[in-house]
Amino acid sequence: MTTCIRLNQVTFAYRPELPVLKDISLAVETGVFLAVIGPNGAGKSTLIRLLAGLLRPQSGTISIDGKDIRSYSRRELATKVALVQQEFVPAFGFSVSETVLMARTPHFSQLGFEGREDRRIVADALAMTDTAALAARPLADLSGGERQRVFIARALAQDTPILLLDEPTSFLDLKHQVAIYDLLKSIQREKARTIIAITHDINLAAQYCDQALLLQPCSAAPEESRTRRSLKPADHYRVGRTSEVLKRETLEEAFGIRMFSVPVGIENVFLPLGKMAKDTGRAPLSNTM
Amino acid sequence: MNSLLSPRMLLTRTIAAVVLLVAVMVLCSLVGTQTVSLRAALAGPGSPTAPNPDYEILLHVRIPRILLAAIVGAALAGAGAVFQAVLRNPLADPYILGVSSGAGLGAMLAVVSGVNWTLWGRSPIAVFAFLGALGTVWLVWTIGRITGKFHVTGLLLAGVVVNACFSAIIMFLTSVARSQDVYATVFWLMGNMAEEDPFVLWASGGCVAAGLVGLFFISAPLNVISFGQTDAQSMGIHVERVQFITLAISSFITAVAVSLSGLIGFAGLIVPHAVRLVFGPDHRQLLPLSSVMGAVFLVVADTIARRVVAPAQLPVGVITAMIGGPFFLILLMRYNRRVYWLS
Amino acid sequence: MRRWVLLLAAMMAWNIAGYALWRAPRVDAVVPPAEAPRPERIVSMAPNLTEILYALGLGENVVAVTSDSDYPPQAAGKPSVGSFWLPDIEAVIAGRPDLIVTLEIPQQTNLVVRLRRMGYRCLGVSIWTVDEFFRAVETIGQATGQPVQAQSLVSGIRQDIRRLTETRAGKDQPRVLWVVQREPLRVAGRNTFINELIELAGGQNAIGPTLHKYPPIGAEQVIGANVEVIVEPAMTGGDLVEQRRQALAYWSHLPRIPAVANGRIYVIDPDAVSRLSPRLCQGIESIAACLWPADSGG
Repeated sequence: MTTCIRLNQVTFAYRPELPVLKDISLAVETGVFLAVIGPNGAGKSTLIRLLAGLLRPQSGTISIDGKDIRSYSRRELATKVALVQQEFVPAFGFSVSETVLMARTPHFSQLGFEGREDRRIVADALAMTDTAALAARPLADLSGGERQRVFIARALAQDTPILLLDEPTSFLDLKHQVAIYDLLKSIQREKARTIIAITHDINLAAQYCDQALLLQPCSAAPEESRTRRSLKPADHYRVGRTSEVLKRETLEEAFGIRMFSVPVGIENVFLPLGKMAKDTGRAPLSNTM
Repeated sequence: MNSLLSPRMLLTRTIAAVVLLVAVMVLCSLVGTQTVSLRAALAGPGSPTAPNPDYEILLHVRIPRILLAAIVGAALAGAGAVFQAVLRNPLADPYILGVSSGAGLGAMLAVVSGVNWTLWGRSPIAVFAFLGALGTVWLVWTIGRITGKFHVTGLLLAGVVVNACFSAIIMFLTSVARSQDVYATVFWLMGNMAEEDPFVLWASGGCVAAGLVGLFFISAPLNVISFGQTDAQSMGIHVERVQFITLAISSFITAVAVSLSGLIGFAGLIVPHAVRLVFGPDHRQLLPLSSVMGAVFLVVADTIARRVVAPAQLPVGVITAMIGGPFFLILLMRYNRRVYWLS
Repeated sequence: MRRWVLLLAAMMAWNIAGYALWRAPRVDAVVPPAEAPRPERIVSMAPNLTEILYALGLGENVVAVTSDSDYPPQAAGKPSVGSFWLPDIEAVIAGRPDLIVTLEIPQQTNLVVRLRRMGYRCLGVSIWTVDEFFRAVETIGQATGQPVQAQSLVSGIRQDIRRLTETRAGKDQPRVLWVVQREPLRVAGRNTFINELIELAGGQNAIGPTLHKYPPIGAEQVIGANVEVIVEPAMTGGDLVEQRRQALAYWSHLPRIPAVANGRIYVIDPDAVSRLSPRLCQGIESIAACLWPADSGG
């Protein structure tokens, strides 16, 4: 297994006094499905944007396929990394196929038209995401779940070894959430892609992803640092196999809530229990691990 | 209408539009305040002491004016389509980044300062309006970049600020200038179509055509940018470079249009919008078709302006607004499924 | 990258070719009147120019006039070339003129450029003051081959003016407010031809020197100007009596002004005072009738 993405002591701050990511080092191997999990403000989106080349770290290096990310031109990087953000309806009424075709723009001819190869790739992407039937419809006519699949199809059409997704299933119902994860898993398997997805759904991450990265904010808010123990550097992030990272104790500490967990099969399921939840105080907190 | 665009489809549609344009131009050349008979005109120019009025009117008044209207219409509509794409706003027009106040200020300065030199046959007011328009866009671009590299809102806000400042200066100049100077500026800015000499038509036609071709080259990346900026970046598009090139070219052709005929509104706003409603937002098609239809639109509007209250002439801007508004409303109602407003 | 370079090169080549083909044109200089043949077909682009042409005896040669050329009455029947501020170039050309007489105002300079570019002979005169009027008459006379008539017209008018001003010499000059618009209040300033007519009629402008020719002024200034006579040119086609009644009603809101207190508010026929024309003296007399009502017996 080769290392596809490597971060070495990466630090990033939007404002000089407040670093969001501090000294992060990790290596992601090719073909891995990595979930990025953590509370709000932990820096998950920031990390994804760094990997997509949209942001530059203040210190540290990021390398993609062995090369420093800064040495890639914008176009070259787009052949390595594709980014899927939350679906939206654009200002102009592009159709599904027009949208997916946009990913092939850098490959267009001098006159600005696609070639046969581009069309084949687009058709493949539509087939894989089960959106071929929607090809001629304008994006605004679709449901959120369908649109998200179209955005994933577009990233697929970009034909990159790495896929980054920022919360691909927020606002989707259960059926669509599962559909997306099934799709991502089959992309990982059939196309041997490396997938990194930010998600708030710990249980789906446990079931589908190979590895997990648990991020916590490295600059604690003032009131929090009084009530919680001060964060050790190792607490800023934790990476490894899902079964190692997603444990009740670590999750409780990271998110600051009580959790109930129970094994399902290979993985556990986690249920957060707040003060007013029905089963708080009734269920034993953990059955295993 | 949403099937993917192919080169053949584009070519067919563009040729059809051009044929329509030529037909409209021919028809409109037969309309004017005087009745001109084609047969009489074909008799030739006549002698220097006894010129043939039919020939003179047709060849030296109407046709140059129609060509001018076509050039200005094509420039405004093409630039309008591009501005709407870059600013991701279907309600943008070519004047939104300060061109109108810049041209106005230039025109005002030309008249008030009383300079007399002409450049290649262009009057000082036209030259100054051109420089004013271009300079203002450059100013807006520079100010807008302070808010962040690709920030479209920053550009728009800078445009508003610059417009406000320049309008204030114009108002000041208006209050202290001689009334005939003020009249001259206002009259010129209101939009006027007068035939120009062949070199001006040739050169400005060439510049506008070159600009439109250049914008066509960059239409595919423009599609992606009009979709969304971060998306475009992650797909390998040089967002800032594309923005800069498209804004530079479209500001240039807008400035050429303004220096030819003053500020004619509506054409750059509704023609691209209407074409988009019928043919979809793919800019590889939207741009050429908008330009040609913009030319048609302005030729027709100018002809109506010349004729409807003959022998007086209405400013073209009045007609563009009067045709444009209702026409657009009808299109909107028929194709309302295709109108998407950002929620 | 290459396609951009090619595009730029093509555009430059196109422009250079155009320059070579047509070369930046120079607007033809005005043909010196003495050398040009005597024009048979003349188009007049302003009402006072029409009057001048008729006064020079060229009525038959005038083939087209502006729509507002209403004097002399024969002129009104001629084909129209638009108004003097919105000329119609097609109509001008359709008249097949040898000479087009224009005013040097912004609305017409563009027309002149276009016509000259097409090879038509245009004459532009400036008529902002009485002196310029006389010079214009002489210029037009030269250009149309009527220098003698022009000379006699000019000296005739000069004589009439002298006669009119002599009778007023030494008298007090009433302070006159010439109102061109009531709301907002705009008056004729000192740098207008109206002012000249007022002075020739023996009056003085109540308003001091201003930057604008027809400045808007406030009630304060009117009161401070100690206005003795108010003159308003009537709206064309209106009833003079009715308009005077309206004027009186309007000015009653400033009863302290001498003009209002003494009822010296006049509404006059605008025809002879709306432009500088050969009926100059008629205009002066109509103004004088307001300033010296006793003399005119009214």
